[in-house]
Amino acid sequence: MIPGLPLGRNLRSRRFQASALALVLVLATFALPRLPLTRDGVAVLAVVDITGSMNVRDYTGPDGRPESRLETAKAALRSLVAGLPCGSRVALGLFTERRPFLLFAPIEVCADFAPLDGAIAALDWRMAWEADSRVSAGLYRAIDLAAEIDTDLLFITDGQEAPPLPRGEIPAFEGRLGAVRGLVVGTGGYALAPIPRFNDRGRETGFYAESDVQQENRFGAPPADAESREGYNPRNAPFGAAAARGSEHLSSVRETYLKALAERTGLAYAHLDGPGSLAAPLRAAATPRPLPGSLDPRPILGGAALLLVLVVYAAGPLGALRARPSLTPRKA
Amino acid sequence: MTRLSVLSEASRLGAEQPLLLWLLPLALLPLWLSPRRATPLPSLGAVPSDTLSRGIGLVLRGAGCLAVGALVLALAGPYRSGARVTRTGIGAEVSMLIDRSGSMNETFAGRQPSGAEESKAAASRRILGDFVGSRAHDLFAVTAFSTAPMLVLPMTDRHAAVRAAIQAIDRPGLDYTNVARGLGMALAQFGSGRPDASRVLLLVSDGAAVIDPRVQDGLRAAFARIRPNLYWLFLRTKGSPGIADKPTGEDTPQAAPERHLDLFFRSLAVPYRAFEAEGPEAVAAAIRQIEGLERDPIPYVETRPRRDLAGFAYALAALGLAILVAAKLIAVDLRRSGAPRIRAAAPVPPRTIAA
Repeated sequence: MIPGLPLGRNLRSRRFQASALALVLVLATFALPRLPLTRDGVAVLAVVDITGSMNVRDYTGPDGRPESRLETAKAALRSLVAGLPCGSRVALGLFTERRPFLLFAPIEVCADFAPLDGAIAALDWRMAWEADSRVSAGLYRAIDLAAEIDTDLLFITDGQEAPPLPRGEIPAFEGRLGAVRGLVVGTGGYALAPIPRFNDRGRETGFYAESDVQQENRFGAPPADAESREGYNPRNAPFGAAAARGSEHLSSVRETYLKALAERTGLAYAHLDGPGSLAAPLRAAATPRPLPGSLDPRPILGGAALLLVLVVYAAGPLGALRARPSLTPRKA
Repeated sequence: MTRLSVLSEASRLGAEQPLLLWLLPLALLPLWLSPRRATPLPSLGAVPSDTLSRGIGLVLRGAGCLAVGALVLALAGPYRSGARVTRTGIGAEVSMLIDRSGSMNETFAGRQPSGAEESKAAASRRILGDFVGSRAHDLFAVTAFSTAPMLVLPMTDRHAAVRAAIQAIDRPGLDYTNVARGLGMALAQFGSGRPDASRVLLLVSDGAAVIDPRVQDGLRAAFARIRPNLYWLFLRTKGSPGIADKPTGEDTPQAAPERHLDLFFRSLAVPYRAFEAEGPEAVAAAIRQIEGLERDPIPYVETRPRRDLAGFAYALAALGLAILVAAKLIAVDLRRSGAPRIRAAAPVPPRTIAA
């Protein structure tokens, strides 16, 4: 020890204390174990509508070119899966005709990320086994499926019923309201857009025209206004004599319909705005599933130590700035 | 170390929060600023310059740079990713093509499953589930087909994911058995990545369908290119025609699709075996036989766990901080150590000197 060292004064100095605290914090990073912690993960069944109307290109892709609803939905699912906390599980299903088709039971999102991501990327409208699109029936059955495999539901669709619903009435939901939580995701733009048409070899050949699709469902009882239609005859022309006209060959997201379906089944509704727009609404709608995790305390300790060191260095010039007025020589 | 190995070593370094590395210039701060008390002094020239003081000054600045830089580095979470080691094990690339047509949900007796009787789908789910994961280095891809082929899982070594895909195969099936397009997709599942691996195409179905002559040529070409070992596990319903049964009437593909699919497979010039299973035990026996046949070496990649380097960075930071703290502890003011007293109201702004 050097005699005459002002140890007491040095020990009381704020800068010494700050530096010493920083050193203690850094040394603590070696001693502190990882802190146990529970996080909220999700277990979700994602059912993707792969019917014809999902081929409508009314989104803009990352390269600025028009992108189909299905491609945007896939990009959104992939970014959702990549962002879920480890331990979350995702099952994947397709929807077309009137039912969901389960591709695989829930898969863990971190250890098995590569096959999960690859399977989502491989989703294609060509996997469809029928051309009908009975959205309400598909949604109701998807809810049953999610209940069976004990997950929440993420149902991605544009809500276009093909053929249209008879008299526009929503079929009754027979399940228990709120038994399965989840999210109906409305996909598509709000303006009507033409639906691409493909030939039997899968090549695009143009767009559907008004006469190509069923514009009105003429099964079952006629609607109430049928009597006022031209050429109405109760036996021979119960739906009127004219061919149905309409815009069923064009497609936009049927938001009112999907919101009504969501309300009926106790699910939440969100619109797909782009690849990053699924995480927040799903987290709000899904059942939180506690997952064991751990928190690394080192960044917190290290960050505090860095701040202390920077403050110690900045204190000099800042102090000088404050002190300067009294030190500058006054002009006589 | 050669230059190449240095490069490959460097390419394995990474950070979890690389954006934080933009804070690294903060490490230069100690070159301009001093953490030490400012002592008012008319001019640094008043203190004679000596090598020791300059040395101590340099060390202190260096320690400051080290502390700040190492802390920023540690916060960014540096790591060295694990090396990927290619090893050789016993296994194969298995592309499974699974029939999901509605009839798979019936029992081998052609009835709705009840009591102890399993459906064909449930039996294949159980037995295939055991098959996956029984050998650590098999790779699997799963394709389903009914009217259209469906890519369920791309080729992967993640057996938990494959089992999850197999768990789904006893869900209610779809309409028809359109085997041709399914075969095309199952063949496409073999990547070009492992040319020396043994390849297995395992078709599990309870029926067959006519393969369109227009598609046949394409399939033949794909089989000739990929050269997989082909196994057809035919889950035969009791009383229905088997693979070898000739129809009583005209022998056309429409009348006996199973027989003609078998003939088509035989004509492909790839190793081919058909197993006709009329019950769960026969399915299990067939799978065991396939397992025994496929005993070829397969290269597989093992990734060593990555190494966390944050500890090193914290140790460096601790070293820098320890030097700074020690310097603070033994700091001596000129004013206290008998150096000439300087008035605070000196006409020159104060300068800082290393004390």
